[in-house]
Amino acid sequence: MVVTVKLSKVTKTFKKGKRNVEVLKGVDLVVERGACMGVLGPSGTGKTTLMRIIAGLEVPSSGEVYFDDKLVSTSNRIIVPPENRNIGMVFQSWALYPNMKAYDNIAFAVKNKGEETRKKIEEIAELLDILHALDRYPRELSGGQQQRVALARALAKDPSILVLDEPFSNLDARIRDSARALVKKVQKEFGVTALVVSHDPADIFSVADVAGVLLDGIFAQVGSPLELYDSPVSASVARLVGEINELDGVVEGGKLRVLRGVVERRDCQDGNVKVGIRPEDLRVSETEVQGMISLGKVRVKVSSYTGSSFRLVVSPLEEEKVELYVNSDRPMPINSEAVLLAKPEKIKVFKNN
Amino acid sequence: MSEFGPTVKAFLHQLILAIFVVIWLIPIYTMVINGLKSEFDVTSTPVFIPPLHPSLTAFAAVWSQLDVPLLNSVIVVIPVSLVATFIGAMAAYYFYLLSVSKRRSLNFMSNTIFSLIALATFMPYQAVIIPLTRIEANWGLLNTYGGAIFAFILFYIPTAALLMSMFMAVLPRDIIDAARIDGSGDLRTFFRIVVPLTIPGIISTLIFNVIEMWNNFFIPLVLFNVAKQTLIPVAVESFTGGYGTLYNESFAAAFLASIIPLLIFIFLGRYFIRGLVTLGTGGKGAV
Amino acid sequence: MATLEGRSRLRSILNKAALVLPTAALSIILLYLVLWNLYYSFTNWSLFHSIPEFVGLLSYAQAMSTVFFRSSFVHSLELSGGLILVGNLMGMLLAGLLYFVRSSKLRTVYLSIFIAPLAISMAVNGVIWLWLYNLQIGIDWLLVRLSLPALPWLSSTSTAFPSMFIVAVWAYSGLAVLFYLGSFMGVDKSLIEAAKMDGVGTFKTFFRVLLPNSYQGVIVATALLFLFSFKIFSLPFVLSGGPTNVSLQTIVVYMYYLYTTEFFAQSTAIATLVTAIAAAVVIPFALLGLRRWVRRE
Repeated sequence: MVVTVKLSKVTKTFKKGKRNVEVLKGVDLVVERGACMGVLGPSGTGKTTLMRIIAGLEVPSSGEVYFDDKLVSTSNRIIVPPENRNIGMVFQSWALYPNMKAYDNIAFAVKNKGEETRKKIEEIAELLDILHALDRYPRELSGGQQQRVALARALAKDPSILVLDEPFSNLDARIRDSARALVKKVQKEFGVTALVVSHDPADIFSVADVAGVLLDGIFAQVGSPLELYDSPVSASVARLVGEINELDGVVEGGKLRVLRGVVERRDCQDGNVKVGIRPEDLRVSETEVQGMISLGKVRVKVSSYTGSSFRLVVSPLEEEKVELYVNSDRPMPINSEAVLLAKPEKIKVFKNN
Repeated sequence: MSEFGPTVKAFLHQLILAIFVVIWLIPIYTMVINGLKSEFDVTSTPVFIPPLHPSLTAFAAVWSQLDVPLLNSVIVVIPVSLVATFIGAMAAYYFYLLSVSKRRSLNFMSNTIFSLIALATFMPYQAVIIPLTRIEANWGLLNTYGGAIFAFILFYIPTAALLMSMFMAVLPRDIIDAARIDGSGDLRTFFRIVVPLTIPGIISTLIFNVIEMWNNFFIPLVLFNVAKQTLIPVAVESFTGGYGTLYNESFAAAFLASIIPLLIFIFLGRYFIRGLVTLGTGGKGAV
Repeated sequence: MATLEGRSRLRSILNKAALVLPTAALSIILLYLVLWNLYYSFTNWSLFHSIPEFVGLLSYAQAMSTVFFRSSFVHSLELSGGLILVGNLMGMLLAGLLYFVRSSKLRTVYLSIFIAPLAISMAVNGVIWLWLYNLQIGIDWLLVRLSLPALPWLSSTSTAFPSMFIVAVWAYSGLAVLFYLGSFMGVDKSLIEAAKMDGVGTFKTFFRVLLPNSYQGVIVATALLFLFSFKIFSLPFVLSGGPTNVSLQTIVVYMYYLYTTEFFAQSTAIATLVTAIAAAVVIPFALLGLRRWVRRE
């Protein structure tokens, strides 16, 4: 039975020696039934703690956790222990039971071990393409197969919520894409409430409907992945969600000046600001390109091939110390000069703090 | 030492080590060869020289006195070791659960109980023989299997708990969490997951317990006072006799008493050593 | 509290209780025995007073004022102290020699040989060494052959204790070797390799790299040597043929002697003393050393 998970003003303080470390400073969160939420944040900043509080493996210092309308955790008290929350969890390390075959791993949490269970497990295994792996031990399986067994184990118990802790970080880069697609497909097909925790924005974008950026113990921003990408509220958020170049700029009378470019920004207040532009929103060119404004002339310092496109490092002619990353569809000779173009609507303005 | 070439140093190294190894082996060597001496060899050779005409007469002579104690030792030691190891493992898992709990009160409790168990392990068990013998006398347990079993269980379960808790400390936290989330209670998790995961530790503890219990001299000394109805170490001690005793019988008896623990040590000892050394290195290396 | 949560919480408590109950019960019995000792140590129970009366510390005074007590206490101190010193040194030396052996199989074999005496009953070891110390056909035979002076070993009161001490060293050094070797193997391999590339010889590596990084091994080896040496009973018992040889008597043997001579209260007094000393060593060791060794977080 899938639930809606709600967190209200959850805090968590750890004792480290003599100091108190506030890992979560007041987190509010709602994951609707059947939705998939992503939690993005740098390593060691509390996303694992948040996840463990939801799972019932940690107790919140204050605040409440609800499954549907039921209070499951409150200040310093776990009301419903994890074994009763029916959580399906995929650990970063898979945490498969090494002494049991894959089938037994998946079936471990299921109460009734009858014919129905066997059919259900086989269905899930087929969906996840591990039917042939059921009879083997975890150590005989590849990383990708182990991850799918862990996923199957989480799904087999009809979980109230599916929690995935950095589910793709232990996988080979090559199979990560297909793994992400599989998780998304399975989540939608089963309609299970899901929470994905990761430091890799690609994980969040491919799987989540809504995402929150956890910084300094609170959610700096919550929204759809696209919102976070295009309209980050701060430079920190922008950095977490993707690659971004950061520059200094000035707003005067409704116009933003950055490098040699000027763009209308009536909604911004006057003053010094931080400007962010993503590499894919920049281009170097000899000629003008429609829809892009010029930021001045630059010199190409590095030109490298990333496999799918080219990556340039350029510097404005007047400011040799400033370096910008620019995506390009062709290589550029080193030390050549070109014009730096930017998509005006993609230029992001942050307060200078 | 730069004036010595590397080969000279290597040779010296091997030599010194070999000398120590030989010195260490000599007593055991004497135990093995002297049991095979006939009466003639006994009177004519010292303990270091192997028998000129090896014979089994000494073994035959002592066998009649050692057969029952040997059997007694087997009957008492093997089952009790198994039970003690198992019960100790359960307690060790309990401490593990306490120690990973975030509640400070439980943490404190686990520390106290751990100290108590350590004390029980290292306390000289001789210190409680008087109450033990009194109790066993009252219950009619002296000179019985039950009496020895009770005493061994009492003294060796703390040892098993201590050893197993060292092996439990390196359990992978994730898997235990996964089992909790999968709704498995502590007992079920113990049997289905913890035990299979800690088999090396269980074997090490079992080996240690079997050898220590088998070799224990004091407990059978105190609990048994009928000549043949005792355990093997006490039976062997009666062969120390004055100058009249032929030493081939003493050594044959010594050999018979030691053959089982030595065999266990030789064939299974590497698991025990490996287990302890990896603990000492924190799981990093093996010998 | 027939709620789902109530019932599951109860089940959880029962689960945990089942795990620890047998051990807890036995520990309580042990504790009871120790307290029993304590109780009777304050009485005068003996062959002459078969109905014990409370006498305060009289039994302690009686037991501790005999010559036997003084000599056995001194012997225990000498044995433990000596074993700690020599055992540690032997452990370091042999572990150092073993560490540099290239073949790990050979190293395991040698290590097993050093530990082997522990796989044999100390009583049996006593029997073996009794004959090794025989003046005609034992070690003396070899010494005479090598034109070295024969020693009186167990037959002379001045050399009896050192003879027993040698057996103890032979038997228990293996413990120290095991833990020191474990410590050495735990030292980061890259430190050793860096030393090798810097041209540092094996001696210097041993003293400057291996030993300083093994202080944990020192603590464990020392504590274990002390605790094992404290319990030594069968060795003096077998080497003397009984509990009455003064020159070999350790404090535990003295306690047993009082028991066999039916001075029960005095025996429990010594037993309580022994327990107290053991506790004084074990508890700090367990709380600090062992715990940190066990929990490597």
